[in-house]
Amino acid sequence: MVSISLRNICLDYPLYGAYDFSLKRRLLGHLIREPGEMRIIRAVDNVTIEAEAGARIGLAGPNGSGKSTLLRLIAGVYPPSSGSIAVQGNVVPLLGLNAGVNLDFVAEDNIALLLRISGRKPTRSVIDEIWAFTELETRMRRLPLRMFSSGMLMRVLFATATAFPADILLLDEWLSVVDEHFAEKAEVRLLNLVSQAAIVIIASHDQPLLRRTCSTIINLDHGRIASTVTVEPSGTHALELREKRA
Amino acid sequence: MMHHINETPRRPSVLHIFKIYYPDLFGGTLTVIRDICTSLKDAFASAVLVCSQSPERREIVVNDVPVERVRSFGNVLSLPAAPAYPWRLWRRIAEHDLLALHAPFPLADLIFAFGFGARRPLVVHWHADIVTHAGLRWFIEPLMRRTLRRAKAIIVSDHVLVDNTPLLREFEDKCHVVPFGIDTSGYDCSKIEPHHVNDRGRLVLACGRLVPYKGFDVLIRAAAAHNFETWIIGEGAERPRLEQLIQELGLGERVRLLGSVSDSERIKLMCLSDVFVMPSVTNAETFGLVQLEAMAAGRPVVNTALDTAVPHVARHGMEAITVPPGDAEKLGEAIDTLIRDPERRRRMGLSARTRAFTRYSATAFKQGMETVYRNAVTASCEERSATCEPVPTTGWLDTVRIAAALAWSDMRHRYVRSLLGPFWMSLQMAIVVAVLGSVIGQISNTSMLSRLPMLALSMTAWTFLNSVVLDATTALQNSASLIRDRALPPVIFLLQCTFRQALFALHNACVPLLLWLVISPHDLSHALAALPGLLLFIACTFALSLVLGAMATRYRDLKPIIESTLMLAFLASPVIWSSDIINHRSTVMRLNPLTHLFAVWREPLAGVPIDPVSIVYVLITLTLLIFASLLTLVHLRKAAFWI
Repeated sequence: MVSISLRNICLDYPLYGAYDFSLKRRLLGHLIREPGEMRIIRAVDNVTIEAEAGARIGLAGPNGSGKSTLLRLIAGVYPPSSGSIAVQGNVVPLLGLNAGVNLDFVAEDNIALLLRISGRKPTRSVIDEIWAFTELETRMRRLPLRMFSSGMLMRVLFATATAFPADILLLDEWLSVVDEHFAEKAEVRLLNLVSQAAIVIIASHDQPLLRRTCSTIINLDHGRIASTVTVEPSGTHALELREKRA
Repeated sequence: MMHHINETPRRPSVLHIFKIYYPDLFGGTLTVIRDICTSLKDAFASAVLVCSQSPERREIVVNDVPVERVRSFGNVLSLPAAPAYPWRLWRRIAEHDLLALHAPFPLADLIFAFGFGARRPLVVHWHADIVTHAGLRWFIEPLMRRTLRRAKAIIVSDHVLVDNTPLLREFEDKCHVVPFGIDTSGYDCSKIEPHHVNDRGRLVLACGRLVPYKGFDVLIRAAAAHNFETWIIGEGAERPRLEQLIQELGLGERVRLLGSVSDSERIKLMCLSDVFVMPSVTNAETFGLVQLEAMAAGRPVVNTALDTAVPHVARHGMEAITVPPGDAEKLGEAIDTLIRDPERRRRMGLSARTRAFTRYSATAFKQGMETVYRNAVTASCEERSATCEPVPTTGWLDTVRIAAALAWSDMRHRYVRSLLGPFWMSLQMAIVVAVLGSVIGQISNTSMLSRLPMLALSMTAWTFLNSVVLDATTALQNSASLIRDRALPPVIFLLQCTFRQALFALHNACVPLLLWLVISPHDLSHALAALPGLLLFIACTFALSLVLGAMATRYRDLKPIIESTLMLAFLASPVIWSSDIINHRSTVMRLNPLTHLFAVWREPLAGVPIDPVSIVYVLITLTLLIFASLLTLVHLRKAAFWI
């Protein structure tokens, strides 16, 4: 049973300045009784989200509204300051594509390493399949990633990241980097992945993408849920939006 | 998890945490704990965890409440020396729905400061501030502040405590005032009253543990100047001093130390007395539950003008005469005034009884406590529904597997850039060993050749330890994107350091291996005997890197300190020096953990029996490191904020 349940989640993000990283200064502050006041920003403020299998949730909002932080919170990167969080199912966070690549390694080895990091066994056939999806030349498999253009690099990384279906998929804004042809193909694959995953949460500025892929769009503002919009799967382009009370 | 909604019969359980309990001691704080347990017994199942010096049964039942007593070996700075207490507390925390800490009890603050029990709601009963050993405040106060910060609620007996305690003022919004209450039904003195009013008219009663802050010496000195009879109920360490004082003042006739008496006996004595005195001299006396009992028994009170609730419970001119603390003359005069004025005594006694009945009723106390407890439990009930660790995506095996894969890829990376790969380092190592060997050979005037394999091996091991720890100090920052974007547990990257350096050390190990094959007689049994020691060495290295790696990520200025300390430890250890060059008994060297960490595997390898001191030293170091590692693992949850 796959589910996500966030209840009244708050996250106080400590902002460490240059001095806050200094143990000497901290000890000294204690001695001279300087109030060691820590700057804290409430990155996620009283957010409640209940998601069952089949939910497709889009997170929208301006920069710094807490989209990525909320995704990281669900992924377990940050512990919540208060409230309760219960996640059941295998979470695959794809928040930054670049994480874990080594540009000096040949493409194949990078794919293998990335698969290992996500806990998969990199077998020959899996790598072949991934490579086929990138539509890059076979000889490039043996080239170090350093020699790839950024678009090519994205293809490899995207293909690897989306090679396996997940129970809970957390995606953060990363479809905008590839060329048009591949973007279409990537979206198809992504939609396919989304259709296989039980729960998908996508953070994006791309409202049309969110409307196409999600059943609910949550608008965040300063860490709070500003509004929740249910997208009617009417099939036509004229989408009807129903405002719900946040 | 929904039992609070479904009203299933199970009562939430409360663990009361304090240093001592019945029957080892009697006193105000213990009465409060006992009263809480009794009055809330319908709503909460109580249990008590305390220390005890008595070697008798550990688990006892007091007033239907199970009490676990952890063995203590005396008191150090007013705290029980109970080494097992933290362990028991940690174990017990998980069994209960609510923790009630009766402060001050710094031993428990220490546990909470380390982050244990963070998932259980905590209510702090603030009984008193630290008054004795105030010199240790700088150390205790940050601990207490941490406890208060994580507490759901702080209960005080009077608002004046919040106003007069700076530490509590910081958490004013959490403080709830619940005045102590007493069951007034037991205090009906009407049967005895007619017989004794104006009968003798000179019995003064005081009650409390015989400890310095109660100020009984002041009372005794006050008695010397007047002509009233004084009885003091209670037992304690001050008894010999008080007895001596009574002797010196020649008051043996009029001043009696009654020792401990039963509750019913105490009430009877209160009814018999004419004036009740509370001569406490420091703010350690926060409320004075006994004066409330005396008030319920309709006695006029003489108390002291402390900054606590004491002069608010029995107010000057209404239920009491309040005198400056520690002033024997004023105290004596106040008592004498009351003794000489039966009408005033009667009037004050009556209003005291009324106040005790209306303002400090047991019902109000029960309701107040129950509300605070209930709110604390419900507030955290939601959090408890998430008791399963958030996203346990990667188990331990996965962690190790990923760390190994990353370390393996690191090593292959070396080969990508150059054909020799990590063997470049081995070459460097060979040169270092050759140079060091010749230099040391020059200094010690002995043939260095036979020692070369051991020197090379020692250098390999040292390089391993040094690199693991230094790598660990930057590992988390270097892997920030994997931690934040792929949600990998930070511990992976600390483990990766050990794995990677172990692979490099295997490369380096070819230098000592070659030397050994060429120079030494080949004795494999020695190598086998060295294996357990080597494992200890590696375990210590990993634990050290875990602790220092996390700390250096949080506090960036630690890295240079760690670097120089390691170098210093290296120079002050017999890693490169051989025993005939330097005095093996050098104190610095023997205190240096590195010496013993090397000895546990080097000595069996050389065919020398290990010094038991070394084994003990290393085992203690490892235990401490493992404990520190566990704490680190708890705090590593927050590592994503640091990078």
